[in-house]
Amino acid sequence: MKHTINVGFIGNPNCGKTTLFNAYTGANLKVANWPGVTVEKKEGQTTYEGETFKLIDLPGIYSLSSYTMEETVSRQCILSDEVDVIVNVVDASCLERNLYLTLQLIELGKPVVLALNMMDIVEERGMEIDLHRLPEMLGIPAIPVSARKKTGLSILMHAVAHHKINRRQSPLIHHHPGLQSSHVHNHHSEYAMVYEDDIEDRIDSIITVLNKKYPELPNKRWHAIKLLEKDPDITRRYPLETDAIADRSYEKDIINQKYNFIEEIISEILVNKAEKEASTDKIDHYLTSRWLGLPIFLVIMALVFFLTFTVGDWLKGYFEIGLEKFSSFVAGRLTAMHTDPMLSSLILDGIIAGVGGILTFLPNIFILFLALAVLEDSGYMARVAFVMDDIMSHLGLSGRAFLPLLLGFGCTVPALMASRTLEHSKDRFKTILVTPFMSCSARLPIYVLFSSMFFGRNAMLVCYFLYLLGIAAAIATAYILSKIDGSRADHALLMELPEYKSPNAHTIAIYVWEKVMDYLSRAGTVIFIASVIMWVILNFGPAGYVTDISQSFGSLIGKFAAPLLKPAGLGYWQIVVALIAGIAAKEVVVSSCSVLFSIQNITSPSGMDSMVAALSSLGFGAANGLALMVFCLLYVPCTASIATMHRELGSAKKTFFIILYQLAVAWVMSVIVYHIALIF
Amino acid sequence: MTLKQGKNNQTYQVLSIDIEQKLERRLEALGLTQGTCITILNNDKKGALTAKFRGTRFALGRRIADHIKVKEVPCS
Repeated sequence: MKHTINVGFIGNPNCGKTTLFNAYTGANLKVANWPGVTVEKKEGQTTYEGETFKLIDLPGIYSLSSYTMEETVSRQCILSDEVDVIVNVVDASCLERNLYLTLQLIELGKPVVLALNMMDIVEERGMEIDLHRLPEMLGIPAIPVSARKKTGLSILMHAVAHHKINRRQSPLIHHHPGLQSSHVHNHHSEYAMVYEDDIEDRIDSIITVLNKKYPELPNKRWHAIKLLEKDPDITRRYPLETDAIADRSYEKDIINQKYNFIEEIISEILVNKAEKEASTDKIDHYLTSRWLGLPIFLVIMALVFFLTFTVGDWLKGYFEIGLEKFSSFVAGRLTAMHTDPMLSSLILDGIIAGVGGILTFLPNIFILFLALAVLEDSGYMARVAFVMDDIMSHLGLSGRAFLPLLLGFGCTVPALMASRTLEHSKDRFKTILVTPFMSCSARLPIYVLFSSMFFGRNAMLVCYFLYLLGIAAAIATAYILSKIDGSRADHALLMELPEYKSPNAHTIAIYVWEKVMDYLSRAGTVIFIASVIMWVILNFGPAGYVTDISQSFGSLIGKFAAPLLKPAGLGYWQIVVALIAGIAAKEVVVSSCSVLFSIQNITSPSGMDSMVAALSSLGFGAANGLALMVFCLLYVPCTASIATMHRELGSAKKTFFIILYQLAVAWVMSVIVYHIALIF
Repeated sequence: MTLKQGKNNQTYQVLSIDIEQKLERRLEALGLTQGTCITILNNDKKGALTAKFRGTRFALGRRIADHIKVKEVPCS
């Protein structure tokens, strides 16, 4: 068996690392979480000259300290056997900052290959990088690549293959003019990064102690540097009496000296530093302007939803026709085979109606994620955090909390995960509490169905109102909370604003593909199971298999709980059952309705007509429909979200509180909306 | 003066960062070390500002901007 080379891709955020990674692996990815933490881990494969490379995409980070989960995870992964060679992807157009991580990686002692990405931008700007001098100074190969134009890919893998075998670093040639050292060793021939004498003396002293206490420890220099920095992780793992040597944390000095060396590198290798990058500043002049920033943002959001609805609904029409044909085809075959009516009912009313109904929303979700991907990849998303920072501050949230909230429009689960970027647990709790109020894409089917049923041409307006209501609920909650706990805004926004670029089709395609596949796999599992359970609840009663739903378990549960929802105009057992089913996944409310009112293809015009007829015979009109949508917007998020919430908060009590709070808000708001709507 | 008091399109040199250590280290790791030149891009709002240092644009919250001491010097 041939040996595979494990390659870890690492780099700063916005350096094009994922684009480069995707260029090798395509959509053939294995996405999972790092053990114990909710940081995404992507793995893929590529081959070059008969060699197999297993590629790991590490999180985008600026430094290798252990301040954030991402940094800790990356560091542990690189130090483990999971990685043989590190590919450090850097944005060549902003080397100065990117090289900081590079110096830290080189110190780790594993083979590092530098992938100089975005060389095309360097050229465009009239800059030149001395590709001969850079490896001399760093002691590692530097390969120019372009992830977007897919150039240099083979050369990079070639370098990886060679560097794995040839562990010796390239010769280091430093000049350091005017630097007089009295340190006993000349480290300049061994290490790229050599500190000032004071630090080097201390490193040597710690290495001496390490040699005695942990003789087997590999790369003692790196451990010594980390001990000198008083790195919490390393000091815990290798307790050592170093207080005499490291009387304080030398991290600041070490960072400063690394940047001094980087400045030296830049001055030697960057030729013709032309300042021709005004386009981003020109765009930012408008997009982050004090007066225009917010309106532009709102217009962009409105545009996103317009696309999701109009174009999405147009495509949805074709899906529905297909589903209708499929359903009648299956029905025909089942009758032809003389299938048991119970089984036919399970397949047609349970599975096809349930899962199929969800599949028709694929176009809406596809377009929403496409739009979000474009915003993300173009660099606009980071500006949103800046534009929103002041408003968020009033709510006692940091501008950074806007990102989870924004992601909440896509799916609550990743949004809740994104709250991890917040530093303070108080901030995190607040963000997790309000994020589910952001209307996720799974709630869209409910709005689309009920608003087009009851509001016809104004359907889009109603949907927009619901989104705004969700935002308002989140804002009010956050505001009240910040008043109660007296928390002041943190005002510690710290976010890179990457250069604007035209979005990369490949990156976006893979991003959207992942999301759509995720949605489909949920439709195939959770929603499938929920559909079957719903079918059982509705087709079985105390008397066994029943054809009349009013004799089923479902109606018993619904009838019991219905009076509670009567003030909101939702006191119908069918609606209660659909809402309960919706906890499995919100879009199930739609499929449950189709099962409960036994309407196939509920989203088609004819299906809607029969639904409206069924509902109005119960006295359920537009006001009730609106109240239902409001309730769906605000009540308990889906099971996956609850599970994520629990994992992120690490507290069942807090999770339970959030669920109760959301139920209360949903009830109060739908009662209010119902009674206001009745007036009109 | 503090960075927050700075003007748009002006370049300043960082004298010190007086903020909790964790945040200070993060800023330093991003390249905002003592003596770094920082150009303010947009300081129109009361809150956060945008600035550029070491070739990268950043959005900095008001508390961060208030705690970075700078001086006005010609920076290369």
